[in-house]
Amino acid sequence: MIFTIFKKELIDTLRDKRTMRTMLLIPLLVFPITLTLFVNVSSSFEKKASEEKLKIGVWGDLGSKYWNQLKEMPDGLGKKELENFEDSAALKRAIEQGEIQLGLIVPKNEAELTRTKQSIPLTWLFDASSVGRQQRAESYMNFMSNKAEAIRLQELGVDVEKIHPLVPVYQNCASDKKMIGQLAGGFLPYIFIAFGFIGCMYPAIDLFTGEKERGTIETLLTTPVSRWQILVGKMMVVVTSGMLAASCALLGLFVSIEFLDIVQNKEILDIVHGILTPSFIIAMFSLLFPLVVFFAGAMIPIAVYAKSFKEAQSIITPLNFVMVLPAMIGFFPGIELNALTAAIPVVNIVLSTKELISGTLSVGYYCISLGIMLLLATLSVIVSYRQFGNEARILN
Amino acid sequence: MIKVSHLRKEFELSRQQKKELNTTANKALAVDDLSFECQPGKVFSLLGPNGAGKTTTLRMLSTILSPTSGSIEIAGIDAVKYPQEARSKIGFLTGSTGLYARLTPLEIIDYFAALYQVPSKEKEERKKYLFDLLNMNDFLQKRIGKLSTGMKQKVSICRTMIHNPEVVIFDEPTSGLDVITAENIIKLIRDCKDQGKTVIFSSHIMSEVDLLCDDLAIVHKGQLKYNGPMSDFRQNMEASNLTEEFIRIVQR
Repeated sequence: MIFTIFKKELIDTLRDKRTMRTMLLIPLLVFPITLTLFVNVSSSFEKKASEEKLKIGVWGDLGSKYWNQLKEMPDGLGKKELENFEDSAALKRAIEQGEIQLGLIVPKNEAELTRTKQSIPLTWLFDASSVGRQQRAESYMNFMSNKAEAIRLQELGVDVEKIHPLVPVYQNCASDKKMIGQLAGGFLPYIFIAFGFIGCMYPAIDLFTGEKERGTIETLLTTPVSRWQILVGKMMVVVTSGMLAASCALLGLFVSIEFLDIVQNKEILDIVHGILTPSFIIAMFSLLFPLVVFFAGAMIPIAVYAKSFKEAQSIITPLNFVMVLPAMIGFFPGIELNALTAAIPVVNIVLSTKELISGTLSVGYYCISLGIMLLLATLSVIVSYRQFGNEARILN
Repeated sequence: MIKVSHLRKEFELSRQQKKELNTTANKALAVDDLSFECQPGKVFSLLGPNGAGKTTTLRMLSTILSPTSGSIEIAGIDAVKYPQEARSKIGFLTGSTGLYARLTPLEIIDYFAALYQVPSKEKEERKKYLFDLLNMNDFLQKRIGKLSTGMKQKVSICRTMIHNPEVVIFDEPTSGLDVITAENIIKLIRDCKDQGKTVIFSSHIMSEVDLLCDDLAIVHKGQLKYNGPMSDFRQNMEASNLTEEFIRIVQR
């Protein structure tokens, strides 16, 4: 009987355009579209910035030393056109007005500083609101600085190694998998939680408040099916919808990584492939399933209580923030899975998934997290059953 | 057969309801000590003004609501103790019954046949009989949302009768329907009577009651004001017509 109800409600739900949009279409397309846009836009900006021919104004270079150095610089560091300025204020004004993109101010005592082997402050003027200007200045400066340093060391007859007695060598002992887990691992459960919640929302409202509003609940309650069977059949559709939405979002992310060249580093791509094993996916879904049941169980009493679709929506939408905000914990570095965090709902799922990606999840904490979520899911089903069995609520 | 004895229903009032009703009482009495019997092959009418307790009574008969006290027997089953068993004997139709707009009539009928656990062979026979009787074959595959009110009403009737119930409960079945659509319901009630089913229907329209019913109960403010055969009601009435007599009894 539960399956009969589940099947009918699923067909009904899949024919609802609004639910289909939030359950399948948006989760499936959100990552391919946003990531493609992001990667294309940012790379096109970077390309444009590196290919842009900049006008560089130079002031104070009496000996034409830096003028010549700039002129001789390879175009690989960025194309440029030089202009001499007699006045530093005029140079600054030209940058403000966009006539000149970079300005170089050479101190008047440059010759004296060079002779006495002191540091020479070279001031670069730029408009930071334009992308890539500072980077271009830095690349020119590095080139000039390396050249000046080599000349000075040669003049002094000093070997480079002699002025750098200590050479730091930093070696990361964490595996790349662990690094990805810690740095990006919070993102995966966050997606699942956010889309799992949204996926549950519309079916929960439609199958409970909607049925009250349309006057079909009374008919259903006169059939020889017990209320718990009706509740479980409907709840299964809400949970399926939540799981589908979250899975579609993950599938969209996977498609983006796999086919849209979002990750261009082959090493990282290999690590991602190594993480996405069947056992990882099973373990992750085992953690996320009770969470989605809990979401459904939290929404159903509200949907039963509400008199209209609008009322249900107005109560459940703020609940979204309460449920999804703890998921952001995963983005904070330093917060780790321990006996305490494993007992905090939602937070435990995020941290467990992070550890799962890193390959460092302890069985004990996994069991605590899973146990807490199963307990919470059971409680939410009991609350839903009580509310669904409340005749004053169901027929109001 | 339906046997109702000393039926009583109290509702807990929420703070909002107390405010709306301007009362400090924690409970509202919707049905107060109702007793009556509906015989098979007869149409029993529950007549009363709006808010009299008709819908609450019929919801208790169909076991959607549980009575505060009293007993209900549906086709020999104690409906208070065994509501699920009693529901399998009942067909329930209201004027405000909604249908699933995204499903087709065929899907809805199959769904309810499954919920009532109608055996496959019997289901096909009942479907053919009802689809032909109600002339539904032309729109079986269309979505409910695209059907006219009359077509929807036919689907509702078919849904109510798919399991061939012994007892049929109609709660203001013609409410909000035009004359032609209401005629389908009137015909259904007559057919049920001819087939020996127990029929109870509620209404506040005296002319409809006069047209159909064999036995009559008048309720007002949850209490039974009259209970007896329609023929006795007609014979003993003091007012000049049925509507005036109904008003006289209610205001007594």
